[in-house]
Amino acid sequence: MKAVGARLPRYDGVGHVTGRTTYVDDVRVGRTLWVKALRSPHHHAAITRLDTSKAETVKGVHAIVTHADVPKNVYGHLEALGVPADEPLLADGEVRYKGQPIAAVAAESEQAALEAVAAIEIEYEERPALVDIRKALDPAAPQIHQWGNVYPHYGPYNHRRVRKGDVEAAFERADAIVEGVYRPQAIEQMPMETQVALAVPEASGRLTIYSCTQAMYFSMGVVAAHLQVPLNKLKFVGGTVGGGFGGKVDTAADTVCALLALKSRRPVKWRWTREEEFLASSTRAPWHIEIADAVTSDGWILGRRMLTLHDSGAYSRFSPYGVTKHAFHHSGAYTIPNLHFDGFVVYTNRVPTTAMRGFGVTSVSFAVETHMSRVADVLGLDPWEVRLKNANRIGDTSGNGVTLKDPSTVPVTLAAAERVGVELGAEFRQMTAEPRTGALLPEHLVAQQNLNLEED
Amino acid sequence: MAKHRGRGFATIEYPTGMNQNGDPSQAWIKLKPDGRVDVFSGTVDIGQGSKTVHTQIVADALGVPFDWVTMDNTNTDSSAVCTGTFASRGTFIGGNAVRLAAERVRERILDIASKELEIDQSDLEIENGDVIARGAPQKKINIADVAGAATYNYGELISGSSTALKPFADVDDETGQVETEPHSAISYAACVAEVEVDDETGEVVVDKLVQVYDVGRAINPTLVEGQIEGGAMMGLGLGLLESSYPMYPSLEHRGGEFGSYLPPSLQDLPELDNVILENPSADGPFGAKAIGEMANNAQPPAIVDAIHDAVGVWVTEMPATPERVLAALAEKRQPRREGKRVIFDEHLSVRTVSENAGEGFLSTDA
Repeated sequence: MKAVGARLPRYDGVGHVTGRTTYVDDVRVGRTLWVKALRSPHHHAAITRLDTSKAETVKGVHAIVTHADVPKNVYGHLEALGVPADEPLLADGEVRYKGQPIAAVAAESEQAALEAVAAIEIEYEERPALVDIRKALDPAAPQIHQWGNVYPHYGPYNHRRVRKGDVEAAFERADAIVEGVYRPQAIEQMPMETQVALAVPEASGRLTIYSCTQAMYFSMGVVAAHLQVPLNKLKFVGGTVGGGFGGKVDTAADTVCALLALKSRRPVKWRWTREEEFLASSTRAPWHIEIADAVTSDGWILGRRMLTLHDSGAYSRFSPYGVTKHAFHHSGAYTIPNLHFDGFVVYTNRVPTTAMRGFGVTSVSFAVETHMSRVADVLGLDPWEVRLKNANRIGDTSGNGVTLKDPSTVPVTLAAAERVGVELGAEFRQMTAEPRTGALLPEHLVAQQNLNLEED
Repeated sequence: MAKHRGRGFATIEYPTGMNQNGDPSQAWIKLKPDGRVDVFSGTVDIGQGSKTVHTQIVADALGVPFDWVTMDNTNTDSSAVCTGTFASRGTFIGGNAVRLAAERVRERILDIASKELEIDQSDLEIENGDVIARGAPQKKINIADVAGAATYNYGELISGSSTALKPFADVDDETGQVETEPHSAISYAACVAEVEVDDETGEVVVDKLVQVYDVGRAINPTLVEGQIEGGAMMGLGLGLLESSYPMYPSLEHRGGEFGSYLPPSLQDLPELDNVILENPSADGPFGAKAIGEMANNAQPPAIVDAIHDAVGVWVTEMPATPERVLAALAEKRQPRREGKRVIFDEHLSVRTVSENAGEGFLSTDA
């Protein structure tokens, strides 16, 4: 029997459904200490005093770490891709979101750790918070990030751009210009397994980290960078995760456990409560998307202008990456030769947003598809036929300049139409993904067509 | 006051692999002395089934039964680099890493089998654990005996390793254009939503989702359907129910427990009709593209389109809660028309909401 294409049972399915799979919190090591964190109660504040000396005397406490204990406190998840670092592991002098970790305690019990957290002496000076990305560049907007309120490092620009074709001419030529605003929301990744890590100092001098990360080598790199140690000092154990959905691409608990294990010389486990998972762990980003399409009365999209504001929360994490990915897909499953796109990563005083299933594209798919339906409605045309007309075809050029070799807009759309009994005109029923010809190769799509598919 | 039925749809595309590439996955494989296969890869299985899919890919790339293959992704000492389980890259990039490693192992098996059988390598093929002479099926040797010979006679560990990597694609910061593909493949999907909208309560019920996915090749159709159906429920949450900030952009009223945050549950499960198309990718393992992330992208716009079909209003601030549907029905907002411009949602625009008419966001070419 061939394995590929077969409906084989899940390799690890029996373990998962009978409770025999070992997740991080199931790993028990003798003499383990438990972690609790001091988190910011404010959305935005200066820290004017931080003193852990009383907390250190709480019975059962073995170690407390603050920013001063981290060899490299500020490290960027995307530093390797040229995105500068902006987020401290533990807050240093300032907090920019409610729930931001400031200090962490390792103690004999979770109760003792909580008592020590309560005994940490801290004072704040509250600052105004920025919450609405649309107001981030208002003259009176609170300044909340050291780079200003938008990410400034897209080469020389403070936004990700797409400039393609002649948008002015397309809007001039259009029979109608349809404009709309789309605001997809933040949601929780909400895994059953909350963020959790266990760090065990080995007799060899190495540190074993049991991690729920979605990316072991990536998280190992993050921990090694904060600790300033080579990779062979660390061993990550993981590979089985109780739900991720993107939220466990962030390295949430591993580094703090590593620091506390080194400081206390004891195994250290930190398991976030459900409340921490909801309120202090990252979410999917909220987005604000404005689209203006230049269209003809028979349903061709000649050009598109789009403005996207991405609510990054208090720090960058993966947002600059997410907005670039968003930009690359802002014409959707369609071929639009004239494009003008600006995408901004905007900081606010909310929990940093991060990767989640469909990162960067879930938002743009929602905006583009709802807008396509509206365009068809405004023009009084069949929405299936408008999509099929403008659909990506073999040899078409995408918004970022890639020649498409195997697009399936037409086959999936036709299959869906047939499944629900939508009646389409004969010229649409017979469409395929093959290169445009005849009436489906109008003047505005001639120049973008590239049939030298081998040369890519 | 009445319930209204509506139908809407959306067609979407989604890339495979980290945007702009540069994200390696590596794998290595060794044979035990009885020919059983140990695969070491760093791909984290977050429940999507990558361990199963990779095992299937190795089994067919080698020509051995599925249950000969053991997968170890448990730690960074035994596994080589995997950039991570994100960007819908597990089947394509992780899968290519184990496929390429398996092809190297296959070459070593054929080399040793060739010596044992005294038949040229090019005349041998592997089928269900046996190395067989083409056209002379009685001349064969089981891989168990090949691995035994390698270990005890030739003093060789049959192994192979490989890296799947597409080099980083630079983007022009001025124009957003690339010189090379910034992805490994693109998958496509269409979704039809059938809804019922109650114009008195504002409640929207999704009765049925018809979903068509081109995944290139379904390595395991059951797991593909798992992604389609699980993704459908997440898409339903995005479309109708979930919000980390119910009063967004306000930071207040966040739900800190399951009791105050509303994901979909089984009672919300609509009738699901799944269609898998296979338009193979030239570069993916056995033609595979991807399915993981895109599976929650098409439902929200399909649902919003269906609400419009049912009651004639567009809800574009998400999710489409009963409050928002009722507000849209009450306000009956019409687009403003100015010349050939048809302007929806003006009250939400940066131009309207900011104090400076969106300056800074709207004047990027000035």
